[in-house]
Amino acid sequence: MASVNVVQEDRVRLEGLKRPWRFDIFAHWPWLKRLVKMRSFQYLVILPNLILFYLFLIAGFFGTPVGNRNIIIVFVWILWWFLLIAVMVPLGSRIWCTMCPLPFLGDWLQRRAVVKVRSGKSPGTENQFFGLQKRWPKRLSNIWLQNFGFLTLATFSALLVTRPVVSAVVFGTLILLAAALALVYRLRTFCNYVCPISGFLSLYAMTSVVELRSADRDVCLKCKYKSCIRGSERGWACPWNVYMGKLDRNNYCGLCFECVKSCPHDNISLFARPFTTSDVALRGYDEVWKACIMLTLAFTYSVVLLGPWGRLKDWANVSEKHNWGGFAVFGASQALLALVIFPALYYLSVRIGKWLARADSIPTKELFLKYAYMLVPMGLLAWVAFSVPLAMVNGSYILGVISDPLGRGMNLFGTADFPWTPFHPAWVPFLQVPILLAGLYYGLRGLHKVGRQLFSDPQQLYRSMVPPAALLLGLTLVLMKLFIG
Amino acid sequence: MIKWKEAGGVLAVLLTLAGLPALLWYWQAVALPHHYPPGTKIIALTATADGGLWTQDRIAGYSYWWRKPTRAEEIPLNQGDHVVLLVSSADVLHSFAIPLMRLGPVDVPAGHTVEVKFVADRPGILTFLCWQVCSPEHNNLRGRFLVKASAGAEGW
Repeated sequence: MASVNVVQEDRVRLEGLKRPWRFDIFAHWPWLKRLVKMRSFQYLVILPNLILFYLFLIAGFFGTPVGNRNIIIVFVWILWWFLLIAVMVPLGSRIWCTMCPLPFLGDWLQRRAVVKVRSGKSPGTENQFFGLQKRWPKRLSNIWLQNFGFLTLATFSALLVTRPVVSAVVFGTLILLAAALALVYRLRTFCNYVCPISGFLSLYAMTSVVELRSADRDVCLKCKYKSCIRGSERGWACPWNVYMGKLDRNNYCGLCFECVKSCPHDNISLFARPFTTSDVALRGYDEVWKACIMLTLAFTYSVVLLGPWGRLKDWANVSEKHNWGGFAVFGASQALLALVIFPALYYLSVRIGKWLARADSIPTKELFLKYAYMLVPMGLLAWVAFSVPLAMVNGSYILGVISDPLGRGMNLFGTADFPWTPFHPAWVPFLQVPILLAGLYYGLRGLHKVGRQLFSDPQQLYRSMVPPAALLLGLTLVLMKLFIG
Repeated sequence: MIKWKEAGGVLAVLLTLAGLPALLWYWQAVALPHHYPPGTKIIALTATADGGLWTQDRIAGYSYWWRKPTRAEEIPLNQGDHVVLLVSSADVLHSFAIPLMRLGPVDVPAGHTVEVKFVADRPGILTFLCWQVCSPEHNNLRGRFLVKASAGAEGW
C-alpha cells in the first residue's frame, strides 16, 4: 500500500493524546470529491429516499394494517434500522443525514431551491434564506429535546414498529415539524435540536471510521471568509452551523458536504480513521444522558421484545391488550431506569472510582462527563447485537413487501407470497456475544483513553477505572444473559 | 445550466408527489380488473377477527382503529357469474370456505390476498365462512352469496 498516504500525526496531540492515523479519502479518490462537489449531489441522494418515503407514508395510511405485510414497517424498522445502526453509523458516521428525506421540505421552503445556491444576506450567512430566520433559544441548544423525544417514541415502540399508520403519522409529523421550524428558525434547527433520530446519530457517529474535517486546520483559522459556516455563491451556509476550523467531533456534522463545495481553499476532506478512537469526549450532561438512555433502551427492548416475560410484553403492547395501567407502569419504569436509575448507577461508579483513586483535585463533573464515553461504543454495539436477530429472523419479510408494498394483493416481482424464512436463527447468539464483547472491549479502551487524559499516575488511573469498568462488565453480562438465555 | 437542473429537480419532486398515488390508483382501478377476462365479477372480501366479520370495505392503516367496517352479510350474484374473490385478512390467520360448493378451505394469512375463483352456476344461497378458529368471534365470520336464478334454472 505504498500509494496509500496514511497521515501519521504522531506529534499532533489532541487533548494530550496521540492523534490516531487518518487516511485522506478525497485525496486518493478525487472522483468522490468531484461527486460531492456537484451542486445536485445531495438532491440526487435524497430523491430516491424521498420517493421511497412517500411510498411508505402512502402505505402507512392506505396499505394493510398488518405490520409485516406493509413496506413502512418492514423497510423502516427491519431493513433501515439494521442498516442505520449496524452499517451506516459505524462506517459512514452521519451519512444517513446526507440522504434523509425528513428535512427536504423544510430546506426547500427555507432556500426556495432544491439544487441551486442563492447568494445574499441572511443573518450570519452569505446566502439568501426565506422565513423568519429567528435564532433558536439558547437554553434549547442541546440534545435534551431529542433525548425526551426518543424516549417517548421508544415508550410507544410496540405501537410504532407494528402499526403502519402510527409510523406514518410519526414520520409525517416529523416532516411537517421540520418544515415549520425551517420557516421560523435559521438553518436546520429540526435536525440539530429536535429530530429524535438525529440525537442518537450524533452520539454514535463519534465511533465512526470516517470524519469530515479540514485538511489543515491552520488554513481554516487564517481564512477570512469562513465560507464553511457562512456559505458562499458555491455552497449554502452549514445547515448544522458548524465551523470547520473548530470541528473535532462527528456529533453535529450532518455530512451535507456544503462546506466542501464552498471552501475557497479546498481545505475540507473526508478522512478514514480507526473505529471508536478519535472522538472520545462527551461535552455535556445532555450527551451523557443520551448515552444512558440509549443503553437503557437496548436493555429494555431486549427484555420486552426478546425476553420470555409475557406480562411485560402485554404491558408494552397497549394497542392490542388495552391494559393502560400496565402500560403506565412499563412507561414509567422505562423512563425511571433511563433517566434516573442508570445515570445514578453510573454516577455512583464514578464517585467510588474517584474515592478509590484519591483524586480530589479532579472535579466529579469532569470525571462524570469524560468517563461516560465508555457508554458510547458499548451502546452502539449493544444496539447492533439487538438488531441482528431482527434482521436475520424477520429479514425475509422484505421479499414479500417488495412485491406487494401496500399489502393489497400486488405481486410485482413474484415474491409477494414468499414465506417467512428466518435466516439461520441458530447463529444469532454466536453473533451477538462477540458483538457485545467487542462493545465491552471498545468501552473499556475508551475509558482507559479518557482516563489517561486525567491521570498521569497509572495506579490512580486504574483505581478510578475499576467501578465504571465493573458497571460496564455487569451490563454486558446482563445483556448477554438476555440474548443467549 | 443550473437553472435547468433546478427546474428538473423541482419537476422530479412534483412528478413523484402526483405520480406515485396515480400509479397506485391505476393499478387498483384499471390494471387489476383487466387482469381477468371481461365480465368477471371481482369481489374483495376482508376478514377481521376484531368484531368477527367479513367486509367488502377496504381496511387500511388509517381506518383500522376508528372506522367500523360494514359486515358483508349478503352479496348478490347472478347465475352464471364468473366470480373472483380477492380474500384477505386484516389481522390474523383466517381460512375461507364455501362448504356447499366444496370450495376451500383456503388459508388466508394476515396481510395476504388470496384469489378464489368460482362460477355461480346454480341459483340459491351460498354461505361463506371462516374455517379456522381465529378469535373469540370466529363464529360470526360468515356471510352469504345470494345467487339469483336465470329463467328455468335448477337450484342447489
